[in-house]
Amino acid sequence: MKKMHILGLVLIAIVIAALLSLLDDLSTYDSVESARKKEGKFVHLIAKLDTSKPVIYDPIKDPNYLAFTAIDSLGSSTNVVYKNAKPTDFEKSQRIVMKGSMQGDVFQCNEIVMKCPSKYKEQGVAPTNAVSAASIEEKKSTQP
Amino acid sequence: MIKYIGEHLLIGQIGNFIVLLALCSSILSAFAYYKATVNSGELSEGPWMKVGRTSFWINAISIVALFLVLYLIIYNHYFEYKYAHQHSKRSLDVQYLLSCFWEGQEGSFMLWSFWNAVLGLVLIKTAKKWESSVLFTVALVQIFLASYLIGIYIFDVRIGTNPFVLMRNEFPDAPIFQDPDYLGKYLTDGNGLNILLQNYWMVIHPPVLFLGFSSAIVPFAFAVAGFWKKDVSGWVRPAMPWALFCAGVLGLGIMMGAAWAYESLTFGGYWAWDPVENASLVPWLLMVAGIHTMLIFQHTGYALKASFLFIILAYILELYATFLTRTGVLGDTSVHSFTGEGSTLYWHMIVMMLIFILLPLVLYVKNQKLIPVITKEESMNSREFWMFVGSLMLFISGGYIIVLTSLPFFNKLFGTKWAIGQDVEYVYNRIMVMVALIIGLLTAIVQYLKYKDTSRKYIWSKLTIPTITAIVLSALLSLFGGISYEKYGIGFLVAIHIALWAAVYSFIANAMYFFVVLKGKMKAAGSSITHVGFALMLIGILISSSKKELISENRTGIAVSGLKDAKGRDENPLENITLIHNIPTPMGKYTVTYLGDSTETKNNKVYFKINFKQTDTVQGKEVENFDVTPNAFLMKSEEGTQLSSNPGAKHYISNDVFVYITSWLNPDNIKDTAAFRNIPVNSGDTVYYSNGFVLVGKVLTANKNDNPELPLVDSAWLSELTVVSKEGVKSSIAPAFFIKDGQPSFKTDTVMQQNLVVGLQRGANGQVELAIKESSAVMRYITLKAYRFPWINLLWLGTIIMFVGFMISMYHKLKSKLYVV
Repeated sequence: MKKMHILGLVLIAIVIAALLSLLDDLSTYDSVESARKKEGKFVHLIAKLDTSKPVIYDPIKDPNYLAFTAIDSLGSSTNVVYKNAKPTDFEKSQRIVMKGSMQGDVFQCNEIVMKCPSKYKEQGVAPTNAVSAASIEEKKSTQP
Repeated sequence: MIKYIGEHLLIGQIGNFIVLLALCSSILSAFAYYKATVNSGELSEGPWMKVGRTSFWINAISIVALFLVLYLIIYNHYFEYKYAHQHSKRSLDVQYLLSCFWEGQEGSFMLWSFWNAVLGLVLIKTAKKWESSVLFTVALVQIFLASYLIGIYIFDVRIGTNPFVLMRNEFPDAPIFQDPDYLGKYLTDGNGLNILLQNYWMVIHPPVLFLGFSSAIVPFAFAVAGFWKKDVSGWVRPAMPWALFCAGVLGLGIMMGAAWAYESLTFGGYWAWDPVENASLVPWLLMVAGIHTMLIFQHTGYALKASFLFIILAYILELYATFLTRTGVLGDTSVHSFTGEGSTLYWHMIVMMLIFILLPLVLYVKNQKLIPVITKEESMNSREFWMFVGSLMLFISGGYIIVLTSLPFFNKLFGTKWAIGQDVEYVYNRIMVMVALIIGLLTAIVQYLKYKDTSRKYIWSKLTIPTITAIVLSALLSLFGGISYEKYGIGFLVAIHIALWAAVYSFIANAMYFFVVLKGKMKAAGSSITHVGFALMLIGILISSSKKELISENRTGIAVSGLKDAKGRDENPLENITLIHNIPTPMGKYTVTYLGDSTETKNNKVYFKINFKQTDTVQGKEVENFDVTPNAFLMKSEEGTQLSSNPGAKHYISNDVFVYITSWLNPDNIKDTAAFRNIPVNSGDTVYYSNGFVLVGKVLTANKNDNPELPLVDSAWLSELTVVSKEGVKSSIAPAFFIKDGQPSFKTDTVMQQNLVVGLQRGANGQVELAIKESSAVMRYITLKAYRFPWINLLWLGTIIMFVGFMISMYHKLKSKLYVV
């Protein structure tokens, strides 16, 4: 089946071309330090929100400007600017994946993907709620 | 041992018993059907068959009972059960109780198992000589599905997750379980359902999707049975209607999911190339490819191997899809990835996939030599050649999608850290636009070709009119349709226009084939109708995606110079606009006003009322005026109230306007601590504030005695002020101070952009004072995004037509003489 063989070769060529064109668009998951080393390059930065630093978002001044500090699991932190609205549950997020690139000292972020306990119902949430409920209950009972 | 109060333990024990029953009956059924198959034609076949049948019935009944038990637990709010506690709560509307099933892992497996059982029962009635060999595979699936639910420990490894586990067994160390009355005191309510799932699409789309999903087992089982019983080509006929059923229902289910994403998610669209979406699309592509190769085989004898491959792969990829989305492998990449159940489900599913790969593989290798060999080559003018090309195209596009979707899994396997770069959608779209183009062309032309060979004269005589009509129509569409999607340069835009032509061509050619060649006869019309629907979908996708318009484009934000991405394209425009209560704000061609909001206390839901008005600037006439009411759930948390937004929409036939709230200042959270500062002023004075200065114009005084046009108050003081900010922005305000019946009252005025409130007062000695307050809490505002999707209804209409087409095909395949079991 000669025709089929030719067809097969053409299709394989198409697949290789498609995959090669893809290489250009691949990026990597990085920490703050390794993202700094690749300044200007598009990366996925995995970190969490540093709650000890302020989160700046004032929709009246500019609804498309969110600035905060992110800290990764290795302990390095960076300032992040996200030119969009503050995502729902942002302060509650446990981990955030930020897509963007390091520009000088600031990580310019195009997209944020969050992991939140409320949305993803991770195990262990229930007992902590229960524990806090129990402690509140205790406080009440100690009062006359 | 503590004796707990108020628990309902019996129902859970019944549930556990039923799970075990389901597991045992499916094992027995599979075993009996296996025996019946290998003893086929012998004396023992009949009894084994009977055992298989009976135990399959028991399995089916137990799955239904399982549903009822879990539903009762959720319905009655037995929060001692983890499933009810995690997925439901008392205030949840009854219509969403079903959604609680889909939210959890266990409920999804139950739904799958339910459909699988129903399909099995239908097969028991209809499969005739194929019954034992086909039902063996179906029962095999039931074994795995039941095993996902048992939740027993074997050497410290938990197999499956049980839907009837108690909170106190799951979290034995939590202190509340020291209290016998923990139910009455602590676990009084559940965590509730993810609000994204509180949507009617979410109640109905999972059952449809899962029916399509489960039904892929039937062609798979027939293919396996064919090779098992050494009837390597006989399986195609009985499998065909089922493949059509699967493609129809799965396609409908996927698009219902897309409708849900469109209406309730804030992706700004119906499709985001999210892994969960991709994972259900790819099996559909393979199933459709399989249908076409099976057709080729039925008419010409070619493509049997390809049919086997596609049908088998379609099911394996469904298992793989479940694996990707359920085990948490996708991790950070998916917006709506599900909870990972940890490593046990991971290996559990790998075992299942391996078995469903090995079973057909071994049978194929063993019986390969039975496949009839055709040495004659297909003609280039034959229908089968081009249909095969189309099938391969679908196969390859599916492969492309699944490889990209699997990147997180590859990362896990090989320890790499790859991810798709900054523009996920474009990575898919630039390939898929080519696929759309080729598939559109093929579906337009190939119907007009005949099997084996077609004379050129015939092709041209039939194709000339549709070709010319399509060229004219799509040229008009390209010229006047305003499709100028320049984000990715001219190459992509040209590709969109050509693909649009191909889609229009496909629509017209198939419609004409139905009316001119088939003369409206329904018997063979299934494929034309399906293709018409598919072509409409393509047109809808191409137009709505390339003409999707961000209405809330905001270029007033702080412009950062040189913000261009790596490819030199302009950065995305800023997408959010802030609206201040009752202040009309220009947004695109609209003037938009935030009219107000109201809170529904039961669900903690806020409805926002927003008015859109469009005025023809030339004639000054109002051309469009409508209100949208997006809403949002308020979620209380320690960090304050959070918002989870649902879009509001204005639907037109030709387009939809979508609005959703991205940020809102909850009045409850306003703590206005700023105070007024009083400064004595005269006309012409300058008063400074933190971000600029205020020029005091003439102070006007009026009272009732010398101004009879002042009937409402006794005296009034007015001033025209000019506020000049540091940036040089000037705004005029006119605060006032009134006295009526000896009581003072104020009319303050505000400069929103400057967070400035200015009032007028009279000091003790009659001196006019300016009262200035700088506060961010002065105004009620919302921040929103708004999109327009043109011609999205073509996509929905096409979906329905395509579904109807699949069903017509299925019906006629069942009726036709080709379908002989």
